[in-house]
Amino acid sequence: MTRYWIAALAICGVAACRRPQLGDTLPGVTTAQRAQFDSGLKVFDSTFTPQVGLGPLFNASGCGECHEDPVAGGGGDEVEHHAAVFHPELAGAMCDVLADKGGPVFQDSVTPALHAALGIDREPRPADATVVAERSTPDVFGFGLLDAVPDSVILSYADPNDTNHDGISGRPNRFFDGRLGRFGRKALVPTLREFNDGAFSAEMGITNPSVPLEGTVGGDSLPAGTDPAPDPEIGARALVLTDVYVRLLAPPAPLKQSGEAKHGRDVFAQVGCTGCHIPTLTTGDNPIAALRHKQVAAYTDLLLHDMGPELGAGDICFGLATPSEFRTEPLMGLRFVTHFMHNGRATTPEQAIEMHAGEGARARDMFAALAPADRAALLAFLKTL
Amino acid sequence: MHRATLLSLASFVVPVVLVAQQTTVPHDSVQGAVRTVDVRTRSLEVTSGVGYAIRVVRLQVPAAVPITDRKSGQGTPINLAELKPGDVIRVSFGGRQTGFVAYTIERVGRMEAGVP
Repeated sequence: MTRYWIAALAICGVAACRRPQLGDTLPGVTTAQRAQFDSGLKVFDSTFTPQVGLGPLFNASGCGECHEDPVAGGGGDEVEHHAAVFHPELAGAMCDVLADKGGPVFQDSVTPALHAALGIDREPRPADATVVAERSTPDVFGFGLLDAVPDSVILSYADPNDTNHDGISGRPNRFFDGRLGRFGRKALVPTLREFNDGAFSAEMGITNPSVPLEGTVGGDSLPAGTDPAPDPEIGARALVLTDVYVRLLAPPAPLKQSGEAKHGRDVFAQVGCTGCHIPTLTTGDNPIAALRHKQVAAYTDLLLHDMGPELGAGDICFGLATPSEFRTEPLMGLRFVTHFMHNGRATTPEQAIEMHAGEGARARDMFAALAPADRAALLAFLKTL
Repeated sequence: MHRATLLSLASFVVPVVLVAQQTTVPHDSVQGAVRTVDVRTRSLEVTSGVGYAIRVVRLQVPAAVPITDRKSGQGTPINLAELKPGDVIRVSFGGRQTGFVAYTIERVGRMEAGVP
């Protein structure tokens, strides 16, 4: 009997009871899914060259070049540039993401062949862009769970006219075809698959079955001979494997909370942070069991909130989002983040909180007015996420 | 012999018919937001894409192209001038030497209102 318990404990210790490590799959994936995850990681960590499709405009030579800290799928210190034209006076056309001029992502690197042809070191920014904004590299842990949250759950938190008078009026962003958005700092992109497939093109210049045509250089066609690899530059299988890898990446498991952190969790709610940073979202039905009907400690509502004119002054519009509207950033895995906010300008959670304005002003002010012990408790709680 | 003649004719006619169809059969479709409408030149631009790989599709809209509005539920005909920036439309189109040409346009909603 003793031997039985020792064996059971050993199995438990190395498998089911093992605390998920950063970079692991979600619990409950099948053997086949695990194999696809491992293959997808290889694509994610690949370094592409111009001979196999990189560029001729790009921000990175592989997913893992930016999403790397502290492991593949994590964040990074790279900052890229997005540009747009904001016309608040034009109803229905207030935001031009400059897609006809190479936008909204203006790549910061070029291949040697494009440099030789045009003498440029990055994609030219259109003169009519009202702003060129910086974007930091987010981690992608738990994105599969965010993808699996039904639209109806997200929309249930929307209160565009602030009918409950709490000063918070989240509203949804929409992709250009009218579908609800959720991915990206402005919640433009509806699905994880599109987010991933589009990134191959926008971030690495790699055409694929979803984006079969190469982008332009500021709206102009590519010079002859600067894009030698035949399109599509990666195939459907690589695309699917990458998607499986990102989709099945587990969010970092929250740490066990001390008494102080538990108190901080309550303070987090009391000062109003949970008005936007909704602690738990529930996924819906899903073909992947590991994503089906799961609770995810996301700390987001995936909606847009007006964060005030200071943050808006340096940012772009995107879809329906005005420059000052941002999606509530998920806080899962916050303890691993080293650069905060959409542009990475904040280096501590305290700084990030201080930058909250607009709909976040009330919570920011209440945080500032907290007794030192409560303030420390809230920060201790954040360090458990 | 008669059958052989028919087969020969068929082998000649079928490719001709296929070539002729290539100018009229839609080869692609897009659902996106109207970016610009130019009634004078009968052209419009549609923004769509995949993730952050966002593209603008420029289309010519010949006068005979059916433009309908889904809202009524019966595909009510509307004019090109009634399309506005921010309208979500579904377009079937094909390529010509002069660029893309719309075959059908259906307005399915407004971007801010959402389209399921």
